[in-house]
Amino acid sequence: MSLFSQNLLFASLLFTLFSGICALGGRSLVFHKLSQGLLLVSGVLGMLASFKVLLAPQTVLYFGLASSEFFPVFQLDPYGAVFFLLISLVSFLSALYAVPYLASYQETYHLQSLNALVATFVLGMQLVVVSQSPMAFMLGWETMSLASFFLVVSDRSHESVKAALLYLVMTHLGAGALLIGFLLLAQGFFFADFEQLAALAASAPLWILSVCFGLFFFGFGSKAGLVPFHVWLPEAHPAAPSHISALMSGIMLKVALYGFLRVLLFILPPIGATASLFILGFGLLSALYGVLYAVVERDFKRTLAFSSIENIGLIFTMLGVAFFAQSQGLEGLYQTALIAAIFFAIAHAIFKSGLFLASGLIVRAVHSRDLEKMGGLARQMPLFSMVFFVLCLAAASLPPFAPFFGEWIFFQSILQNFSSQNLFVTIVLILTFAVIALVGGLAIFAMVKLFAISMLAEPRSEAAREVHEKPRAGELFSVAILAFLALGLGLYAPTVLSLIGASVLVSSPAEITVGSATIQPSLIFWLLLGCVFVVWILRRIFSRTAHERIYHGWDCGQPIDASMEYTATAFSAPIRFFFRLILKTKKTLVAQPVVATNPWITTRTATVDLRSIWMDYGYVPLGRFIIGMAEQVKKIQSGNIRFYLLLMFLTLILTIWVAL
Amino acid sequence: MSLTIAVFIQGIVVLALAPLVTGLVRWFKARLQGRHGAAPWLVYFTLLTTLKKENVISESRSWVFRCVPFVVLGIALFLSLTLPIVFPSGGIPQVDLFVLAGVLALSSVFLVLGGLDAATAFGGMGASREMTIAALIEPTTLITFATFASVAGSSSLQDIFGNGITVISHPALLLSFVALVLIVLAENARYPVDNPATHLELTMVHEAMVLEYSGPYLAMLEYASSIKLTVFLLILGNLVGAGLLTTVVIGSFALALFESTIAKMRFFRMQEYMSIAFFLALAGLILIFII
Repeated sequence: MSLFSQNLLFASLLFTLFSGICALGGRSLVFHKLSQGLLLVSGVLGMLASFKVLLAPQTVLYFGLASSEFFPVFQLDPYGAVFFLLISLVSFLSALYAVPYLASYQETYHLQSLNALVATFVLGMQLVVVSQSPMAFMLGWETMSLASFFLVVSDRSHESVKAALLYLVMTHLGAGALLIGFLLLAQGFFFADFEQLAALAASAPLWILSVCFGLFFFGFGSKAGLVPFHVWLPEAHPAAPSHISALMSGIMLKVALYGFLRVLLFILPPIGATASLFILGFGLLSALYGVLYAVVERDFKRTLAFSSIENIGLIFTMLGVAFFAQSQGLEGLYQTALIAAIFFAIAHAIFKSGLFLASGLIVRAVHSRDLEKMGGLARQMPLFSMVFFVLCLAAASLPPFAPFFGEWIFFQSILQNFSSQNLFVTIVLILTFAVIALVGGLAIFAMVKLFAISMLAEPRSEAAREVHEKPRAGELFSVAILAFLALGLGLYAPTVLSLIGASVLVSSPAEITVGSATIQPSLIFWLLLGCVFVVWILRRIFSRTAHERIYHGWDCGQPIDASMEYTATAFSAPIRFFFRLILKTKKTLVAQPVVATNPWITTRTATVDLRSIWMDYGYVPLGRFIIGMAEQVKKIQSGNIRFYLLLMFLTLILTIWVAL
Repeated sequence: MSLTIAVFIQGIVVLALAPLVTGLVRWFKARLQGRHGAAPWLVYFTLLTTLKKENVISESRSWVFRCVPFVVLGIALFLSLTLPIVFPSGGIPQVDLFVLAGVLALSSVFLVLGGLDAATAFGGMGASREMTIAALIEPTTLITFATFASVAGSSSLQDIFGNGITVISHPALLLSFVALVLIVLAENARYPVDNPATHLELTMVHEAMVLEYSGPYLAMLEYASSIKLTVFLLILGNLVGAGLLTTVVIGSFALALFESTIAKMRFFRMQEYMSIAFFLALAGLILIFII
């Protein structure tokens, strides 16, 4: 291994650090640009390093202290490289985007601290992926969590602070669970690395393994936004500036996935059928719950956040099926489902980052996150709307984009394992298939709503009528690259899938066997394009293109205006009605007489309020209970110092008694 | 080489037959309702006339509005070329059931966007309803075709239809076949999901979406829906082992008879229809592994 490529990884982390330091230089825009430039360099170096590892199997990049005690604390193996590549790519593009984007928000955000925090955030995620020991992992994890907490509050509004505090509580409960899990597994060895941990886990009793699995599942699941630990996600992701939302949704969730898989694949011994069904169940619940809320939500960025919950649910479903197959001895299904999950995670990182970056441009254009205030933007920013359209189609898992092929390989592998000998396995697979198919259908609805209501028809507000701040070159470029990647990753899906296979399934050959089915995304893409082209030619031949007239739409004899067109609420009304048992809504109709003496002529206002069943029946009562308990505990706080000393003494005795 | 020729012949047959199928359904329906009815081949002339008419474009539209007819008709063309419906071994083997479901959804998405782009309440209403139907029928489509694929042992549509799998040879497929009929009715905007003949806002789904289209664009969209109906009828025909012409005639008659005897469902009762289709398909899939 040459010195240069070894230093590539180290240099990438170093440049991230430089970017953070440079950002603190001063208020001038020069420092902002310099800081983002350094982050760009860090992204390029990171991508180079990951490609180096991915393309040459058995390669491991490492750096660390030369002392044998701590060696190697940081190294990049092929599995980590997949995620390191994602982090580098998305942070590169978000830096490119941030250069012009943040320049128009100089009054809103404190650029110095914001840029420094972004660099810290990226550094934290990079550290997590290259860590080889629990302590280094937790260091990176906490850096990432704390930096993202401060990023959520960056606009200092009341809602952001509320969202961030909720996030802080949830993320620290999760981090606590992870730390307990690692310490339980380590059995007293504080500085054990992952390999030693795996050796310890192999001989650990079952109850410790079960408890650890539960703790890891909660820790990583709450960070990834699995229902019911997701409550922070739709609050925190939209509150952050858009390029931060892209980092959070696009890659921070993937880092949680990385951690979960690192523990399950490399540390814990194979989990049983029960634990895998547990993962599968939570995955399906998240997918269904997330997509239903994505359909009915009216806030642009919250729709994307709920769609992230849905996608994370899909990924965990794939993982659940993979581990279930492993416990049932279906090796082929285990491999393909695992590869499908990672492929879908990569695709999600790409299209969701793209959508969040796009959301920033839309929100800046209409000065609102409310879908009901948007509309007609496709006419004012046609190029941007095309790029956004591609991202929406990708997010809806339609052919020929990458997520479609991620789902394709998963569906295909399930389908071929329906006829296993065990009827229980068959039923589990069939039900998974059915729920995922339903989620897929609804995901299309959510994305069509997002695109159509924001971009098409007449503007629904004054701000959307005349957009002053159009997307700038750098911003448009980074969104377009992501849209292009969503298509390219789909067309080269077979190559990418075998690359992932080689990097994740180290123990087995990297052949993806999906039975007789063959995958040829490019054939389907060119056929579709060819058919549309033929239609275009035929239309030119058979009818005159100039024979047309611009006229107003069919108005039933009365001029139409924007107040008559469908809104996001109206558009999703059928789904809200059909799934009213899950989607709790509170509808209030207020009628106020125009003249006090005449009760018949009134002005009516209707509000449809979306409720969250987890908040209403889970977290809010739990919070009330905890505060109630705290009130009870307060009774022993008499203010008498001797009583407190007595309590401390008793605690000491109790601790010694437990410890001995 | 022979595959290419088969694909082309099949495409031309489906494209040529499509307006006739729509015409036949209308003619049978008129006869069954005691009307004289227009000749079945009138649809060819209607399409040609519409093609020559002036294209009136709405003021409030974006680039999406112009893309819609091309993509929708392109996808209909794609279906007629790639599915093994006329020859059992025709079609493109790489087009499997997931691609079929995805491409159908893509076509619905474009129609919906076209409906919303014109900024009228009619278009929005049709779009919202069509999107609901398309989103909720997609799982049923996937499950039903997965059942056929499980019986055929391959997800490729060529293997499903090429191996001569019919409801007669595999009676266990009956539930899935019924589910498929429900899918065909929903996908093609027929009774009881939609009324293809009216322009009443209470009943419109498909017609409301294409309301703003005129001239060549309207002809393209109408032609696309004819092709889609023909393709689906041929798929059903393959599953009962009927030949091409039998399918076209008997299929159109059966559809007309069905539409003349049943009332349209209220849209907000659609969840019952969708649930029935979904659970029929699910039961059909589980059934073939139990027996």
